[in-house]
Amino acid sequence: MNGAAQGSLALRLAALAFVVVLFQIGVVSEVPVFGVNAELTALLVAFVGLLCGSTVGAACGFAVGLAIDLALLQTLGLTSLVFTLVGYWCGRLRELRDPQAALTPLLVGAGASAVALAGYSLMEFMLGVDAPVSFELLREIVLIVVVNSIVALPMWALTRRALEGALPEDPRRRRRRRAYTTGGLSPLSKA
Amino acid sequence: MYDKTVRRRRAVLALLVVLSLLLLTAYFGESPSGRLHGVQRDFLTVVSPIQDGANKALKPVRDLFSWFGNTLHAKSQLSQALRQTDKLRRELVADQAEKRTYHQLISLFHLDELGVKSYRPVTATVVLKSPNIWYSTVGIDKGESSGVRLNDPVINAEGLVGKVAQVAGDGALVDLITDSSMGVSARIGKSAASGLVQPKVGDPNDLLLQYLPNNAPANPGEYVVTAGSVAPGESLYPPGLLIGQVTSVDEESAYKSVNVHPVANLHDLDVVQVLTSSPGGRAANLTRLASTLQAGQQANDGGGGQLASTQVGG
Repeated sequence: MNGAAQGSLALRLAALAFVVVLFQIGVVSEVPVFGVNAELTALLVAFVGLLCGSTVGAACGFAVGLAIDLALLQTLGLTSLVFTLVGYWCGRLRELRDPQAALTPLLVGAGASAVALAGYSLMEFMLGVDAPVSFELLREIVLIVVVNSIVALPMWALTRRALEGALPEDPRRRRRRRAYTTGGLSPLSKA
Repeated sequence: MYDKTVRRRRAVLALLVVLSLLLLTAYFGESPSGRLHGVQRDFLTVVSPIQDGANKALKPVRDLFSWFGNTLHAKSQLSQALRQTDKLRRELVADQAEKRTYHQLISLFHLDELGVKSYRPVTATVVLKSPNIWYSTVGIDKGESSGVRLNDPVINAEGLVGKVAQVAGDGALVDLITDSSMGVSARIGKSAASGLVQPKVGDPNDLLLQYLPNNAPANPGEYVVTAGSVAPGESLYPPGLLIGQVTSVDEESAYKSVNVHPVANLHDLDVVQVLTSSPGGRAANLTRLASTLQAGQQANDGGGGQLASTQVGG
């Protein structure tokens, strides 16, 4: 990836993150569905990792988490830490497995949401925040995961559309494409 | 080449994780007036106009989504509201006779000196809302420049909403009454006995009125209002502000616990009023007294704050 492409990707990511964080705070957090609010930011971080790889996913997770912690006056660094790991793991999933199934975004979105919420809860417990610990918490986490699964596919389409044209080319994908078109041989050896 | 990529990837991850942990440690260890809290307040000052603009621009979208939910909810609320109206009408007739006597007593004992009249209400728009279950907080578009101070009570048309937790120049953060850090000295209806209203553990949308004497009358449907007293650890709330309605009573322990459902719809806050106090006024003096009691209480004992607050609050 050259410098111009990296710059274009960074610019698009920043704009996308800004819009999604604003939408999350301004709209989504005030519109409960089944009594809970969707976590679009967790989905965004997961999908950026899935599209751009572990390094970009982790960096995006850190930045989005920091923006949320700053904007909502929450404990600084907490969401950053959780989202960094979520972005990284989703990026590693792409680098190691490169899943291509149609339902991949839905499963990754649900998994990432569950990991993010459970990680956030765990960190809060460790920091000693006096919050309700009960079946209610588990129910809320499960409901958020369900709601996030519902919005995962549209969110995936939006993220992909916004980053299209600036995405890094994956060597594994390139190898697979070549194997598909040339029967596993390089065009030169085939000639 | 491969090793270099792997090393770079791991280095970036390690750097970001360490950075997060450093931020976390520094933030958690510092006081609310510390540098990182200051950065957050500055950030709030910078982004509040953007959030305010976005809030106004996105309100139609929000209203559209809310409309569907509210319509479904309204049907179930209608029958409940009709029953409540009948009950209130009967109570109104009974209360009118008592009202005249009550006002005479109020004037006689100057009990209204701490009422809402002592405060200067500042109307504010809610510009952000914490979206997770850990923090029940909202951001408003009025701050120090409008006279808003730390611990000022926040109300809306329905009742008590919370108190100001952090203040910036043009914005402030309000802890809702369902936030785990909150505790309000309160009493039930006309009863003189008071307790402490706190969020109910296990159900962040409900409240629990605790430490109420066992002989204090409490019946489902009765209203819970602020006691209007200075409780250590809490700001001063004017007396008689509606908090919620009694849903059930638990009398198994030494103290009576009452489940309370807040009357203010905390999920749908658009406009609130901050009860600011004029400098040197009686309300301001008593708020200062509340913070002094808080400091003294923390210095003297670390654990029994809740029980002590009910004793003072009574």
